[in-house]
Amino acid sequence: MGPFAGFDMPLQYSSVKEEALAVRNGAGVFDVSHMGEFFVLGKDAYKFVDHLITNDFLNSEENKAVYSPLCREDGTVIDDLIAYKLGPERVLICVNASNIEKDFSWMQKQLGNFSVDFTNQSDKYSLLALQGPKSESILLDLGILKNKNLPYYGVAESTFKNEDLIIARTGYTGEDGFEIFCSHQMANLLWDLFLKKEVMPCGLAARDVLRLEVGYPLYGHELNDTITPLDSALKWTVKFEKDQFIGKSALSKYSPKFQLVKLSLDVGIPRENYPVLDSHEKEIGRVTSGTMSVVTGKGIAMALIEKEKMPANKEFLINIRNKFYKAKFHLKSFVNGGHK
Amino acid sequence: MVNQFFPGHLNYSKEHEWAKIEGNIATIGITNFAQNSLGDIVFVELPEVGKKLAAEDSFGVVESIKSVSDLYSPFSGEVLEVNSELVNSPEKINSNAYDAWMIKIKMSNPNEVNNLMSAEDYKKYCENL
Repeated sequence: MGPFAGFDMPLQYSSVKEEALAVRNGAGVFDVSHMGEFFVLGKDAYKFVDHLITNDFLNSEENKAVYSPLCREDGTVIDDLIAYKLGPERVLICVNASNIEKDFSWMQKQLGNFSVDFTNQSDKYSLLALQGPKSESILLDLGILKNKNLPYYGVAESTFKNEDLIIARTGYTGEDGFEIFCSHQMANLLWDLFLKKEVMPCGLAARDVLRLEVGYPLYGHELNDTITPLDSALKWTVKFEKDQFIGKSALSKYSPKFQLVKLSLDVGIPRENYPVLDSHEKEIGRVTSGTMSVVTGKGIAMALIEKEKMPANKEFLINIRNKFYKAKFHLKSFVNGGHK
Repeated sequence: MVNQFFPGHLNYSKEHEWAKIEGNIATIGITNFAQNSLGDIVFVELPEVGKKLAAEDSFGVVESIKSVSDLYSPFSGEVLEVNSELVNSPEKINSNAYDAWMIKIKMSNPNEVNNLMSAEDYKKYCENL
């Protein structure tokens, strides 16, 4: 166990490698109850969320989720989140545990004239992520999922043992999988049911390897309070065609200072903050997250490179304990997740 | 032998290295407690033969998927031999930490053994961590 954002969190249950591979090849379950849950209810629910986030929420499909950064007026990133369209006047927003207070107070200040009821229900909800190619059949077997119609990033409200659940086909591993928002007691019950189905209990360490293998950003690493989504490969989540959103004016004038790159090593394991150099051994950036891929067996990293120092030849070195290792530049993710 | 996890014929450092002393040669590795706390070991970096070390100098690193840990030499002296097999198969440290020796040192001050713990003391030390 280890401390994380004020929670005592399971970092690993057995072996990080076995846990991560179970998710790639079978199924694993993560207790991510530390994540924050906010509800936006009322006639302006969609409009309010659309105003807050850079991605397009208003025109997204019903019963679907949208991933988005949450920015300040100056375009810097407060957090990244997933907003779920539960119904015409109901939105669930799931935020990072370490940012619950920051996000909630920021969002409250933006309420203005929006006619919504906005609440932080993080303490009432547990969240389990069942991830891996076998997830769907396990949920169908247990009767938690009633049919096969839930699309990728779809969300449904359901009941199980007379209790309300919110089930979304979302996750942070790149594999097919589901996230289930429920009461704490229900989470205990589901956890035990999953383990009886030979689902591997997985900790935060495996989660970090899995998300890095598929190139997903993590707040506090690839994203932070001082950079914009345009610095961190999230241009696709900033929808300038929207009439308005917080940060639009600053972001539309902004020229990015950084570029996020994916690098791998044949020898050595890159770690957060290791210097990244160009082929002339000049420092051009830093590793934001690094680990060893359990799939490829190689060191993998994401790094923020100063845009103006970005080498045209795409040749990079990583400084590990004052030795320079040649890194391979990847346009695509290190591992192909199997998500729908 | 205290038990298989704390072999009685070895000496132990606070940084969780074990040392086997034969004459003026010390064979060094990391303990079972250390490999267990680290989890899957996926990378090892060891020194060159001939490297001179002072006691408590870092002589290399072991990395798990999640973390990087320095290896500290319990003795001053010169590196005589390196177990380069571990570089290709770091998982051997997890399977048997006491077989997976890392370096052999020609000790320049064998009295430094007095800074190390017996198996019994080291076992107690681990229980209190």
